[in-house]
Amino acid sequence: MSAPLIWIFFPGVAAIGLWFLNQKRQLVTLIAVGICLLLVLFAAIFPVAGAVHLGPLTLEIQSTLIILGRRFVLDNNDTALLSFLFLFGAFWFLGGWVVGPHRYFIPLGLAMLALSVAALSVEPFLYAALLIELIVFLSIPILVPPGRHAGKGVMRYLIFQSLAMPFLLFAGWASAGYEANPADPRMLTLAVVLLGLGLAFWLAVFPFYTWAPLLAEEASPYICGFIFCLLPMVVLLLALEFFNAFPWLRVYPPVSPALRPVGLLMIISGGVWAAFQQNLKRLIGYALIFENGFALLALSLSNQVGYQMIVMTFLSRVLAFGVWSLGLEFLQGQVPLNFLISRGLLHRFPFVSLGILGSIFSVAGLPLLAGFPIRLSLMENLAQQSLVAVLWVVIGIAGFWLSGFRVLSAFVQSNQVEWKMEEGWPIVLLLSVGVIMLFLFGLFPHRFLLVLQGMLQAFEQLR
Amino acid sequence: MIYDLWSILPIVILIASTLALLLSQNWRWSILALAVQYLGIFWLVTGVWPIGLAAVKLVVGWMAGAVLGASRPSIELIDARYATLSGRLLRLAAATIAIIFIMSIAPMVGTWIPAGEPLLLGGLILIGMGVLQLGLTTRPLAVILGLFTTISGFEVLYAAVESSVLVAGLLAMVNLGLAMVGAYALLSPAMEEAS
Repeated sequence: MSAPLIWIFFPGVAAIGLWFLNQKRQLVTLIAVGICLLLVLFAAIFPVAGAVHLGPLTLEIQSTLIILGRRFVLDNNDTALLSFLFLFGAFWFLGGWVVGPHRYFIPLGLAMLALSVAALSVEPFLYAALLIELIVFLSIPILVPPGRHAGKGVMRYLIFQSLAMPFLLFAGWASAGYEANPADPRMLTLAVVLLGLGLAFWLAVFPFYTWAPLLAEEASPYICGFIFCLLPMVVLLLALEFFNAFPWLRVYPPVSPALRPVGLLMIISGGVWAAFQQNLKRLIGYALIFENGFALLALSLSNQVGYQMIVMTFLSRVLAFGVWSLGLEFLQGQVPLNFLISRGLLHRFPFVSLGILGSIFSVAGLPLLAGFPIRLSLMENLAQQSLVAVLWVVIGIAGFWLSGFRVLSAFVQSNQVEWKMEEGWPIVLLLSVGVIMLFLFGLFPHRFLLVLQGMLQAFEQLR
Repeated sequence: MIYDLWSILPIVILIASTLALLLSQNWRWSILALAVQYLGIFWLVTGVWPIGLAAVKLVVGWMAGAVLGASRPSIELIDARYATLSGRLLRLAAATIAIIFIMSIAPMVGTWIPAGEPLLLGGLILIGMGVLQLGLTTRPLAVILGLFTTISGFEVLYAAVESSVLVAGLLAMVNLGLAMVGAYALLSPAMEEAS
């Protein structure tokens, strides 16, 4: 028995099994949530790799699985990371039970989670590029469910995500070349440039981000939210792995100065475009650009605080995008999702409206909400390096705040005097828990940081 | 750059097939052009890989073409903006500029990537023409064919620096996955009602 068998092949095989049961949505949801929670529980009780004692039985779990000469390695340092990924899966699949996205979502979503773990555990880790490409392929049937046309957004998403793969493969070759011959600085430059381009395609970095709002507009909001969380998280973890595995990358002088303007450009463009946006679905696409900009800015700090900020953004991102996309999925089909047309939603859907507003303001970094401590801490650290950069961040944040206030204004404007709640209790319950979590994270960030920091254990040079 | 006939022929094949992919509005001709393109790729890659391994690229390319062809894309390639003569001439002009540009930058790229000149030129032509096609359309079949062209260009260059069987196998999986995604994107409108 090996850890990759438990964390990659078990959910992968379960996903195949669930595919055949996809007509029975509630059963599939129950099983998928059960599997994810079981794995989280397993990580909490037993070591990921090592001896597992089950009464009189002792089971030895190996950390490594070798397939065709390539190793998949999962050890006890990966406990927090694995728990977080499968908790994220359970959270999203449970929400799917309430809003009912397409029936392919859960089987393919579980398979995407298993492949994500595979991508994070494969050695040499540049093979992850191929596994992430497979994750992108699996996402297409859930973004374009049967009966729908594949629109511009989906096609652009496929193009940009696929273009990343060759750059990463070449980056692997160039970095191996540099390690073999450190006297050749051209290989170092080539490796960094190719790595940067690959990450830029994956993370929707300016100017490769046009697909994000288009995709958000075309596809199911709940599924978009899932993809907008999972893919950037896996890619950012891989970026951390690059920094961990290649010491020369951490000390290469142009890396940090190159990452900072890119991150700033994404924050400004995401924030400013969001300020002019009227479509609540497209807005989540700009939120992706905005969030990824902050993650790149954190990476540009090139210190432990920056790495901690990156893993902290994961939880705030999952909570905000989860509540936001759950609310939008519920509203979709009932009201137009242009907030200038659908005014007064707060009177008809108070919990959904508050959930969406809470999420937008959390992304914008409003005090007391989950995004705030991360934005504040990042700006504090950035100010020590560049005050001008902080000013640009403030401009981007102001754009997103403006967007939030426009949505708030539209949600509260109504000729309808009486309040009429048109939401069922399951959605109210889930959204309430989500909003409470947004506040809890905003009020007690250090409590969550202690848990989230565990994810950095997987990267021994970055701890 | 001086080439013998043996090394210039696959490049001519690649230019012709990528032009056909760019200009064609008929899915049958496009799939045929894709098949011919993979023949050119096979020819180029045999210069650096054993024939048995290089044949993987040919077989996978043809299988991908067969998967796309089996979905009978019919109208999926017809793009009103470029269906006219002027539209096609515009594409041809853009392709000519792209090829001239690629030929001019190939020696410079050669200083970074240690690939032979035919391999370098072939790979860059595929990448350039693929990117051009991706930039000109959002029709699913054309996008998938453009992605095949672009990725195969990278594969040709990558073949010069990496000859691992596992990488060849994984890239073959990616190509087949792309073909299946393409077939799904073409067929999905005609499938069951979305729910």
